[in-house]
Amino acid sequence: MSAPGNGASGGAVLLDVRNLSAGYGELAVLNDINLSIRTGEIVAVVGSNAAGKTTLLRALSRVIDCSGSIVFAGQRIESLASDAAFDLGLVQVPEGRQLFDRMSVHDNLLMGAFRRRDRAGVTASMERVYTLFPVLKERRAQWAGSLSGGEQQMCAMARAMVAAPKLLMVDEMSLGLAPAIVDRLLDVLADIRKEGVTVLLVEQDVHSAFQVADRAYVMETGRIVREGPAAELADDPDVKRAYLGV
Amino acid sequence: MDLLWQVLVNGVLLGGLYALMALGLALVWGVLNIVNIAHGAFIMLGAYVCYYLFAGLGLDPFAALPLAMLALFVFGYVVQRYLLNLVIRAPMFNTLLITFGIDVVLTLLAQLAFSADFRTINPTYAGSNFMLGSATVPFVRVIAFGIAVGLTLLLWLFLTRARLGRAIRATAQNLVAARLYGVEPRRVYALTFALGAALAGAAGSLYGVVSQVNPYIGGSLTAKSFAIAIIGGLDSPLGVIVGGLFLGIVESLTSLYIGPTYSDVASFGILVLVLIFRPSGLLGRTA
Repeated sequence: MSAPGNGASGGAVLLDVRNLSAGYGELAVLNDINLSIRTGEIVAVVGSNAAGKTTLLRALSRVIDCSGSIVFAGQRIESLASDAAFDLGLVQVPEGRQLFDRMSVHDNLLMGAFRRRDRAGVTASMERVYTLFPVLKERRAQWAGSLSGGEQQMCAMARAMVAAPKLLMVDEMSLGLAPAIVDRLLDVLADIRKEGVTVLLVEQDVHSAFQVADRAYVMETGRIVREGPAAELADDPDVKRAYLGV
Repeated sequence: MDLLWQVLVNGVLLGGLYALMALGLALVWGVLNIVNIAHGAFIMLGAYVCYYLFAGLGLDPFAALPLAMLALFVFGYVVQRYLLNLVIRAPMFNTLLITFGIDVVLTLLAQLAFSADFRTINPTYAGSNFMLGSATVPFVRVIAFGIAVGLTLLLWLFLTRARLGRAIRATAQNLVAARLYGVEPRRVYALTFALGAALAGAAGSLYGVVSQVNPYIGGSLTAKSFAIAIIGGLDSPLGVIVGGLFLGIVESLTSLYIGPTYSDVASFGILVLVLIFRPSGLLGRTA
């Protein structure tokens, strides 16, 4: 396993995954995954459909059983339940956004804080999130279902931010969005990193993922086949041919 | 003209009570996707709890009402937790069958326990009236109306303002996301069903004060609650108030101008029209 990083951040290892395998019943999907993320990094996991990316997120957020080891913030979590992993700060922005369509933007964000009991902390998080996403503040009383696609994605990310994540796992952020809006969301990811939140970005859209990520892992049929600084991977002839269409 | 005014006043007062009856049914339907056929039987049980607290312990019926709500809340929680949770997210036909079974069992048990006699909750002030313009207004009906509307508004505030109320709405709208952010659906479902039963307990207590109770009132009350929930939509308690008032006024007007036997024809006729032309309710979102 090569040493991670292009030096973008010298933080401690936040998430360390060793020999992770997982699947559904008899069907093994993930095979011997090794991956690590340092505090303050943006790491992308890219790959085509059915490469196992979403299954990886499910294993990390403890929705499905797995073998191997997952160390998060210095603690073994591979046998924890999803609620416990969530409480440690492992928060997911699900694919397809999954907003509460007929609730206001504000109420959607408050649902992110459902498990938090520190009222003052929640108020502060809400303020920070509204600063980060001014458009959501404008539309706070509107139904989330009435937002545009890009705004809905922001709402989903903001809701996750209110849950006070240490690691934000974003699944298929760019799905179905226009390129200009994806660029705006990539800027938002950089802003989120500035808030001290580490980001794991899972994407089919390799091009946009490489724009913002420090490092990346390429997945194929349940294995990691390439890893390294995003800039280097973007120049890798195999990756170029397979994913960038050049 | 005086007669019309009287009928309208009667209709509004009746409608408030109707709204409270339908409220629990609509809440459970909207969140759990269960049409609780036994809802009317829950109302009947609430009426008997109130009756025995009044007749047996000499408690004022309006003081007995919170106790009836509490009793039905506990009953509803147990029924959901240990019976309906077994069929949660099952096809609607299964949940219809199981709640129909609960309805039959409750009705027969009530007949054994309470006898088939008509019971009336008759506090000393039951006969007092006052005048509203040219209309005579029974005092107890106004109190019942006030409590019904008050409870509906309280539920609305709870759902929109409280943390648990938000979780209930969130679970109804997107189960996946609600779980993702730490909501436990089983707990939310049990709480919602218990709330629905408590509202039935309140409606039953008020029904016992303004009308007569026997073990068989449940069936027609479920049907009326169902009609109101459809007319008002499942989205908001405020829609249910509108549906209840609407049905109360229509029934009162039909009794006056066409004949009392036709009031059910009118209300269920309207139900059919609403289902054809506005399937998500008069105020509901257009699906």
